[in-house]
Amino acid sequence: MTRTLRGTEVDPPPEKPPARTGRGARLRYRLGVARREPTLFLGIGLVLVLLYLVIAPLVSIISDGFAVHFGDDFKAGQPVGALTGYYLWRVFRSPVSTELFWQPLVNTLIVAVGVTAVALVLGGFAAFLLTRTDVKGRKALANALVVPYMLPSWTFALAWLALFKNGRSGGQVGLLQAWGVNTPDWLAYGAVPIVICLGLHYFPFVLLLFGNALRRLDAQLEDSARILGASRGTVLRRITLPLMLPSLSSSTLLVFGRILGTFGTPYILGLPVDFNLLSTSLFSAVRSGQQGVTAVLATVIVMIGVAMVLFDARLVRQTRRFVTVGAKGAMERTIALGRWAGLAATGAWTLFALSVVVPVATLALTTVTITPGVFSADNFTLAFWTAEHLPGAPGFPHGVLRGTELWSAAWNSVRIVGMAALICGLAGLLIGYVVVRADRSPIAKVLRQVSFLPYLVPGIAFAAAFLSLFAVQRGPIPALYGSIALLVVTLAVTHLPYSSRSGISAMTQLGREPEEAAQMAGARWLTRIRRVVVPIQRGPLITGIVLPFVSGIKELSIVIMLTTGGTQLLTTLSINLVDYAYAQMANAVILIIAVLSFTITYLTQRLTRTSLASGLGG
Amino acid sequence: MASTAPTISLKGVTKSYGTGPLAVDNLDLVMPARSFTCLLGPSGCGKTTTLRMIAGLENLTDGTITIGDRIVDSVPDGVFVPPEKRGMGLVFQNYALWPHLTVRANVEFGLRIRKVAAAERRKVVDDALATMQIGWAADRYPSQLSGGQQQRVSLARMLAVKPEVLLLDEPLSNLDARLRLEMRAELKRLHEETGHTVVFVTHDQLEAMTMATHVAVMKDGVLQQLAAPLEVYHRPANTFVAEFVGSPPMNLIDTTTAIGAQACAYLRPAGDVATVGVRPEHVRVVTGPAPDDAFTFDATVKAVLPTGSSWTVSVLTGDTEIYLVSTEPVAARGGETLRCAVAAGSLHTFGKDGARLAGDNAMETEWAR
Ligand SMILES: Nc1ncnc2c1ncn2[C@@H]1O[C@H](COP(=O)(O)OP(=O)(O)OP(=O)(O)O)[C@@H](O)[C@H]1O
Ligand SMILES: [Mg+2]
Repeated sequence: MTRTLRGTEVDPPPEKPPARTGRGARLRYRLGVARREPTLFLGIGLVLVLLYLVIAPLVSIISDGFAVHFGDDFKAGQPVGALTGYYLWRVFRSPVSTELFWQPLVNTLIVAVGVTAVALVLGGFAAFLLTRTDVKGRKALANALVVPYMLPSWTFALAWLALFKNGRSGGQVGLLQAWGVNTPDWLAYGAVPIVICLGLHYFPFVLLLFGNALRRLDAQLEDSARILGASRGTVLRRITLPLMLPSLSSSTLLVFGRILGTFGTPYILGLPVDFNLLSTSLFSAVRSGQQGVTAVLATVIVMIGVAMVLFDARLVRQTRRFVTVGAKGAMERTIALGRWAGLAATGAWTLFALSVVVPVATLALTTVTITPGVFSADNFTLAFWTAEHLPGAPGFPHGVLRGTELWSAAWNSVRIVGMAALICGLAGLLIGYVVVRADRSPIAKVLRQVSFLPYLVPGIAFAAAFLSLFAVQRGPIPALYGSIALLVVTLAVTHLPYSSRSGISAMTQLGREPEEAAQMAGARWLTRIRRVVVPIQRGPLITGIVLPFVSGIKELSIVIMLTTGGTQLLTTLSINLVDYAYAQMANAVILIIAVLSFTITYLTQRLTRTSLASGLGG
Repeated sequence: MASTAPTISLKGVTKSYGTGPLAVDNLDLVMPARSFTCLLGPSGCGKTTTLRMIAGLENLTDGTITIGDRIVDSVPDGVFVPPEKRGMGLVFQNYALWPHLTVRANVEFGLRIRKVAAAERRKVVDDALATMQIGWAADRYPSQLSGGQQQRVSLARMLAVKPEVLLLDEPLSNLDARLRLEMRAELKRLHEETGHTVVFVTHDQLEAMTMATHVAVMKDGVLQQLAAPLEVYHRPANTFVAEFVGSPPMNLIDTTTAIGAQACAYLRPAGDVATVGVRPEHVRVVTGPAPDDAFTFDATVKAVLPTGSSWTVSVLTGDTEIYLVSTEPVAARGGETLRCAVAAGSLHTFGKDGARLAGDNAMETEWAR
């Protein structure tokens, strides 16, 4: 049976085209076609630009790890620029290697495992509830439970501090401490809070991936096993779980990969107790100007990130062979919760409360209270928002809405992220266009893959790589450090995989006929793009711009290394305020970002009638 | 009406999609000016590919395409004229209407490109829509139309710009039977009136027979026969064409079977015959004495299938199943024996390679009834 099936699947052996016409003439013909059809040139151009923007920074940062940098010549005992193993030694073997690399590596693994576990449990629970049970208000729940993912990831960390902070680090203590409950260091800082905070941020990610897979899973497969006499437990163990394995491994590895590149939470919660992850260790190396060490650390992070994605791809490919995902047979099959209904709904809404309501409310509360935990009328104030002058706050002597800092940061955020998102959206659509037009040609394949490359590199390592490449003038490209251009390019490249993916799928769905029809009607290339392709793809184009915008506006890991005084963004402003120990104002800025990100997402979903949570519930 | 519609000629046209067998293999095809040529063949034989190459939407792997006296594609000479400069109209297999434009705007598009004045545009669009009986839908969007309605809009869109070459990829496949008949007539009238050169892709042989001035039968990317419809029907170039054109298909009988050997002996042909063929409607049930110049045999009735206007009968002689179509009622039941006759002139012979044998005597003489 399988044999015959396989037999028909195999492509007949490729036949060489007859060589009646010589190679030279055929090449000349192809050039003639290419001259009339910009697709090929467009494709080659896109590939070259992308290769440069992805490969060159990586090459630059890897080679940075092997050449003696200015100021290290004495320690390395080699002249500046010489090929050296000094930085490798420093990171992996030297007395400081524990502090630089090994401890952060162990911490990263601990945190990653912890976060993944928390996210899987919470996300898996929510996914099961939303797709397989008759829990009340599924639609509302589905929308509510993806909200944590729209908040900046370190919102939770700031809220945590507002609740649990003790007197160890400077500034005001948290609510509990203010009420006289002593919070130990392990609860206030370090691994435990980091795991909880990131777990609450990343569980919607698992919910989406896992929920969609569960929904597509052909319920008939389970039914047929039941009919054959398998018990519920056996079905779960032998049928459902194996079939869910790909999405399980994907969510695990992707969450794991995200932890590698996340910066805000470990920075806020880890720093007071010197709890470093690879990302914060990398950041310290950058800030202290240790280029060689930076390079080695970034390379390690890149390698782990690439390994993760490749491992995932391999796993998925291996599993997919026996996984049948039926779209048609997938009927609504829900388990009646019966007397568990109340408990399940309560659980789900509690999760929402813990991951959204509590952190946001806590932050909001801190921004209007002078002393934490005191609820008397004279302790409430709007000063941190609106005061002309805040006494005793050097560096930021007024409410966040006053002065120019917030507004210029907001303008920078909107301008820089907006430009990056625009580039992303347009590039994504163009990439989709070329991939579909040049279908099956090698250029389409290469473009598809190259545009996916940034996905392999954790954001913070990418930023380090860009810094290494563009810190100095290279050929015709001037030194870009501190410039808006650098931020725009970095943000655009790191978000490109998502845009190009949606561009490719939108264009594939449309196919090439509508454009060809315009061609037959006599329209030239530009006319076709302007009058047919772009108008038809307006929806996907808007989504391809808005999604990177929303994600970019709350981005910290990537921009933290690249901003300078002149290019402060909302996110970096907030972190700066944390550094100054102005908790109230840092929290105020975070709230502004959260509201901005949430509003834009909501409006776009309204306008384009799409939903992140679409199809999850009800 | 005098038309300047051009001749289309393909020479050695070959298309490879990289992997798999050639989609079109060394195709030589001349479609005379003002002809209505049907590309006919089973699914996947390369009809759409051929049409798209003529349109310029697909590049050639080898060969030359000439429209009138203009070379539009030539691999040996490195010539390529882009589709928008070829001045052809094309109706896509899946219509390819622009979803963001109304029906009117769809049809108007080409006129806007040509910068036709608004008043003139309106008139032309109205005419085109009226011809296709779809004027009532002018302000709708394509997604609000059925498949057949979209197909007619697609035809109107092509006609509006008055191209001299019309390329049609199964343009009637989604219409219901009555509308299809009407559209066939409409297209044929249009062709006769305007004298366009039309290339029409279909896998419906009836469509090809009724509309075309020329039929090109293809199989696996290779041209099997190019001829007038009746010629293709009555003188099929090989067993593939014989079987593909006509419904029910021609009976092809191996000469190794008993009945095949008898027929062969009866014909006493010159060449080495491997297959004898006869169209079902040329097999007659005889009740009285057999006619002189006919090959006769006895057969057992397997099934009688009335279609309304005719009777299709499946009979067995030895192990060989033969179909016959009669315009008169066949009263026989399964298991009964029938006497069948085939006029000598209605027997086709094919050689070992399937090719029609030269000098055989199977002419299109209708057997006197
Ligand atoms: N873009 C493509 N890439 C690869 N192979 C293709 C492509 N388009 C067509 N083919 C192959 O070329 C062959 C001819 O295809 P074509 O579309 O011309 O067939 P067709 O005669 O129009 O069939 P149908 O009647 O089903 O429309 C088929 O085997 C098909 O699989
Ligand atoms: Mg086709």
